[in-house]
Amino acid sequence: MITWEEFIYFAIAAVLLWAVGAWAAWRDKTAIAYTSTIAGLAIFFSFILMMWISLERPPLRTMGETRLWYSLFLPLAGIIVYSRWKYKWILSFSAVLALVFICVNLLKPEIHSKTLMPALQSPWFAPHVIVYMFAYAVLGASAVMALYLLSFRKKAITKVESGITDNLVYVGLAFMTVGMLFGALWAKEAWGHYWSWDPKETWAAITWMSYLVYVHYRQIPTHNPKLALWVLLVSFVLLQICWWGINYLPSAQGSSIHTYSV
Amino acid sequence: MWTKPWTMKEGFLIGGGLIFAGLMLQLSVGPVVWEAFAWPTNGIVLAGFLAIIIGMFLLRKRVYAFRFIGTYQAAIPTLMYAVAMTIIMGLTRQRAGGVSPEMAVDGTWLNNMLTFWPFVLVYVYMAVILGMVVLQSLLTIRRSPFTIHYSLLSHLGLFLTMAAATLGNADMQRLKMITGIGQPEWRALTQEGAIREMPMAIELRQFIMETYDDGSPKRFASKIQILTESGKNIETTVDVNKPVEVEGWKIYQYGYDTQMGAMSQTSILEFVRDPWLPLVYTGIYMMLGGAVCMFVFGGRKKGL
Repeated sequence: MITWEEFIYFAIAAVLLWAVGAWAAWRDKTAIAYTSTIAGLAIFFSFILMMWISLERPPLRTMGETRLWYSLFLPLAGIIVYSRWKYKWILSFSAVLALVFICVNLLKPEIHSKTLMPALQSPWFAPHVIVYMFAYAVLGASAVMALYLLSFRKKAITKVESGITDNLVYVGLAFMTVGMLFGALWAKEAWGHYWSWDPKETWAAITWMSYLVYVHYRQIPTHNPKLALWVLLVSFVLLQICWWGINYLPSAQGSSIHTYSV
Repeated sequence: MWTKPWTMKEGFLIGGGLIFAGLMLQLSVGPVVWEAFAWPTNGIVLAGFLAIIIGMFLLRKRVYAFRFIGTYQAAIPTLMYAVAMTIIMGLTRQRAGGVSPEMAVDGTWLNNMLTFWPFVLVYVYMAVILGMVVLQSLLTIRRSPFTIHYSLLSHLGLFLTMAAATLGNADMQRLKMITGIGQPEWRALTQEGAIREMPMAIELRQFIMETYDDGSPKRFASKIQILTESGKNIETTVDVNKPVEVEGWKIYQYGYDTQMGAMSQTSILEFVRDPWLPLVYTGIYMMLGGAVCMFVFGGRKKGL
């Protein structure tokens, strides 16, 4: 039976493979970039699968478990973006971000219990959370892109660069929409109503509309590209409140039916 | 200011005006009474709402303000107001069931955002904008590229979902029934605490409770026998996450006697009926389709 004790070995192997993939992308060795990144994903995913089996439930409940998926989806999103638009930097970037989340999991292990309360035992559970985690990963990538363009670039932002940001937001927003609507369909089955303005739902709506501001603002021909990037950064802060910040909000204490992380 | 074409500045002023109007309404007539929208009122309101949007759309060439409603410059400030109002909602503790006036009397306006006029008006205006956008893209549907279609799907889906969910809320019924072993029960409690007779009687056959090693609940469910007014006799099990549907009612496992735990002799079931659900689901599925199309086609821009 696999436990969190073994996580570090899988993590090291996966991160090394992702690093090789990232290096290969810079050197235009496309084949190595693909195989190495995918091998890393396979190793990391096998850990998740084995945890799934040993926990006897999908590892999606605690914050530590969702970070596990986040670390998986960053390189996965990276390789998808790489295959579609061939950005050399994307694999390095996704590998570094994944490493950050892996380190958080190694340094701050949380209570990982086996139990899964009845409300979470549903076929909707896995798709709802997995789709959301993927959205968070891609939107995280767009936030880092925005940060890079706002702070490190001296020259004006090019069309290609803002196009990359747009693409990431479109993909992230599409997944976020699906995750939210899956949540609504599940809520109807579990709690009797598809939308109850539970604090988690309220913040999900806020985050969603905030990204819609970006998408619409970018459509105005005379818009200010830097302001658009700021909207993206603010949206990402709101997303963090929705994801974990809500656990610390006094307004949500005890009133959210969405609190599962022990 | 107010020289054509209007920009986001005018958009922000219109939204600000709406919030001001909302505050005036709140002070003069009090919170929004959603119960007043029960059928057939909500049907009439929806028809009137659609008629107003269509009317504004038809007059858009003559009235500049109506033309403006369908623009990004109107949509973005409105979205930002909606974000701001919803953040206030997310930062303040909301009254449970804030939609009923008896419960809304305590707490400030901000603790009852769903009945707070400025909040409601901003969302209503958002629906108007959505309606105008939908009509615009319907008009150009034949000669537009595919990308417009997924935008249409998303906007129409959101419009439907918001309109049906909000107006239909008054018609939604949620009642709790406490069932016991060997005692057929047909009365249920409304959210306001009134007793109502249901069109079926339910007898609890067995309460099922399984726990994990640490004692936390793993499964709780009710084996029940349902006898409907129309004479149907159904034996079934209601699990958490697996409601049972009988004659337009969805029956949920809601609770049990927590003091007795696994030995509980009673089980609390929730009855839910929402006649507007098909319309809401149509909207949700349209938005899902729009999101999938956005993922597949959205990122395709030339030269990237």
